[in-house]
Amino acid sequence: MKKQLLKIMIPALSMAVAGAASAQTVRLASEGAYAPFNYMDDSGTLAGFEIDLGNALCERAELDCEWVQNEWDSMIPNLVAGNYDGILAGMTITEERLQTIDFSDEYFPPDPSKFVVLKGTPLDTSALSGLKIGVQGGTIQAAYAEETYGADNDILSFETGDQAIADLAAGNVDVVLADGGFVDPVIEGSQGAIVLAGDEVLIGGGMGVGMRKDDDALEAAFNAALASMKADGSLDALIQEYFNRGPFYAD
Amino acid sequence: MLENPILNDIATLAKPALFNIYFALASIPVGFPLAVLLAVGKCQRSRWLRWPSSAFVYAFRGSPLFIQFFMVYSVMLSFNLSHWKPMGIDWLVMHPLFIGPVVLVANTSAYAAEIFYGALRAVPKGQIEAAQALGMSRWRVFRSVSWPQALRLAWPAYTNELVFLFHATTLVYFTLPVINEQKDLMNKAGELFERDYNAVLHYSVAALYFLVISIVIFRFAAWYHTRLNRHLAPAERPPAPSFKPRYLR
Amino acid sequence: MLESFLTFLGQYLPDSLMASLHYLTSGKHLAWYASLRYTLGAALLGAALAVLFGLAGAAMKSARFAPLRAIGHIYTTMVRGVPDVLFFLFFPLAFEQAVEYFFAQRLCSADELAAAGSWPPCQAAQWYLGTTEYFILACVSLGLVYGAFAANVIHGAMQSVPAGQIEAARAYGFSDRQVFWRFRVRQMWVYALPGLSNVWMLLLKATSLLSLLQIADIVQWAERLGAPNYLARVGPVHPDWRWKYYMALFVFYILLTMLSEWFFRKLQARAGRGILSQS
Repeated sequence: MKKQLLKIMIPALSMAVAGAASAQTVRLASEGAYAPFNYMDDSGTLAGFEIDLGNALCERAELDCEWVQNEWDSMIPNLVAGNYDGILAGMTITEERLQTIDFSDEYFPPDPSKFVVLKGTPLDTSALSGLKIGVQGGTIQAAYAEETYGADNDILSFETGDQAIADLAAGNVDVVLADGGFVDPVIEGSQGAIVLAGDEVLIGGGMGVGMRKDDDALEAAFNAALASMKADGSLDALIQEYFNRGPFYAD
Repeated sequence: MLENPILNDIATLAKPALFNIYFALASIPVGFPLAVLLAVGKCQRSRWLRWPSSAFVYAFRGSPLFIQFFMVYSVMLSFNLSHWKPMGIDWLVMHPLFIGPVVLVANTSAYAAEIFYGALRAVPKGQIEAAQALGMSRWRVFRSVSWPQALRLAWPAYTNELVFLFHATTLVYFTLPVINEQKDLMNKAGELFERDYNAVLHYSVAALYFLVISIVIFRFAAWYHTRLNRHLAPAERPPAPSFKPRYLR
Repeated sequence: MLESFLTFLGQYLPDSLMASLHYLTSGKHLAWYASLRYTLGAALLGAALAVLFGLAGAAMKSARFAPLRAIGHIYTTMVRGVPDVLFFLFFPLAFEQAVEYFFAQRLCSADELAAAGSWPPCQAAQWYLGTTEYFILACVSLGLVYGAFAANVIHGAMQSVPAGQIEAARAYGFSDRQVFWRFRVRQMWVYALPGLSNVWMLLLKATSLLSLLQIADIVQWAERLGAPNYLARVGPVHPDWRWKYYMALFVFYILLTMLSEWFFRKLQARAGRGILSQS
């Protein structure tokens, strides 16, 4: 019985493994909880700036792409484990991440991080103390807050950016530090309940597509596609559509 | 840092283990009396006492702890601005070190109440009638006749519940925000795993901590069981709680 | 079809009710309802596997061959010392790495194996885990964990089969194997049912953990639907509504428990027919 099972299992598994290695399909992962970079739209599918961008890149590189939704905190491990081939999830290119994975050229310019608070809360960002600071765990903002404010404040790490904002809106954290591109629509949509505070800080570089280190072909293909999107202004148009900013990459 | 990866992990996970122990230790002293109250409530003839206790026990036994955590946190959060802040207790009641035990207490008291309820019903009716005939008050009957026997009957199953409760502490930080470096075993093991992808090493060491502490709980419970039954000759004592699986949650 | 049905209802129902109906039938909500298939599928498949593993574990526990008996004992005591969550997370990871190790030995070159910089050593040994694979692995881990519980229940139930029957069977010349299958296993169900229903309840509740394995189950969709939204292009703008969705899940699981209890009561009544000790 056991032997028979193995006889069936081994070819099936080798097919699965070989299939994964030779398939032309490129799997792209995103979080789906970081609007407008990536989110679940009202029909329940992944959408947003990075989804449009990823699809455009695949079209230019003539790749067959499909999307995988993955939680933020296991984003890099699951890339390395081979569950998908690329990350487009508002991930900033940092030295620390470059030790584990590779990034394409940037597709979104360095985005200053911003502090947001409930209306009527004064905040001196140069001397925070005794506060509850909300961040999304595993982000550059989390690392920055830990290093800069960790000694005198409590840093609350949430699984998603949305959760951090929910706790801010409910007054459970005093301030949230997050990417400007993520908090701008929150400030606008909260109708004055959530406001900007203090100075913005530039923590990391731009955002890029995260890929495994040995995936050089995919990296080259994405970089070429990105270059052409920058050259013909279509990347700027996408950024304009979702963030109302730019142009950044026009000559 | 130590050379041996296993010893290294044991050292790294020592502090996170304290968080699991804290969550269990903070829940048991409240969960136990609440469970007794609920069990007594379930035994009452008055529908106003019986119904709420039964409903509470049913709801918290009938739904996953994972969802109870999410639910309690989000409900507490929605009262933060309107209630906790004005009362000045938001720093306490919204803290994972507080909400964690609150949910665990609700959960464990429901399970334990069902155990105690079963034990209270198993106390021979004749003894209670005899006690009443002697003119004992209801409290006196409970205190001197039903409860001491029910506790002895329920102890092995309650031991089991304690171990389950300890294991259930793993869910706290899957559902609540992590403050600074306050991380539990699962949390820390996951973090170590993400660094070097050595699942076997890190999760096994975390499992080792759970195993050792579970055995300590069983040992302690077995010792107390002997104490509870010291009036009986060794041969007549009911089997002590042991690591051998006998009970389900 | 849904749209036309809603239009039809709109003729009779007040606008406020229609608004909630439209909200509750958005694509995102439909995806939530559809994700129930993972929860129920994992419960049913996990339970089937748990019974299989349970039978195997119980058989091993009562085996004559000592090492087999030891394995049975280790398997059934495992759940006493280690939390199910830990096993639930660990098993799929370890299984994936074991499979990749197996293929790395065959498919990767010696240089790649020696380098050992990343895991797996070469791309050819990479095993892709999608939702389906994770789902199957999750069911197997559920089956393994709760199979250990089931093994205890089944082992106990087998011991409850009256010894006289077993002796009579032996006296009639039935072989060991026949005695096991035709007497012990046949008869033990009625004794095992209460315990197995308990295992089912535990397993049902454990299905809420599927989201930990990157499966978009009802818990994950509840989180997505309830999270506050400030951007009209994402969907309806609303504050934090997670408590509503989690309460719905809380009630939903209680209803599932009630349904299961009713089902097992019926089953128990059926299985207990004609058995003396049941009365």
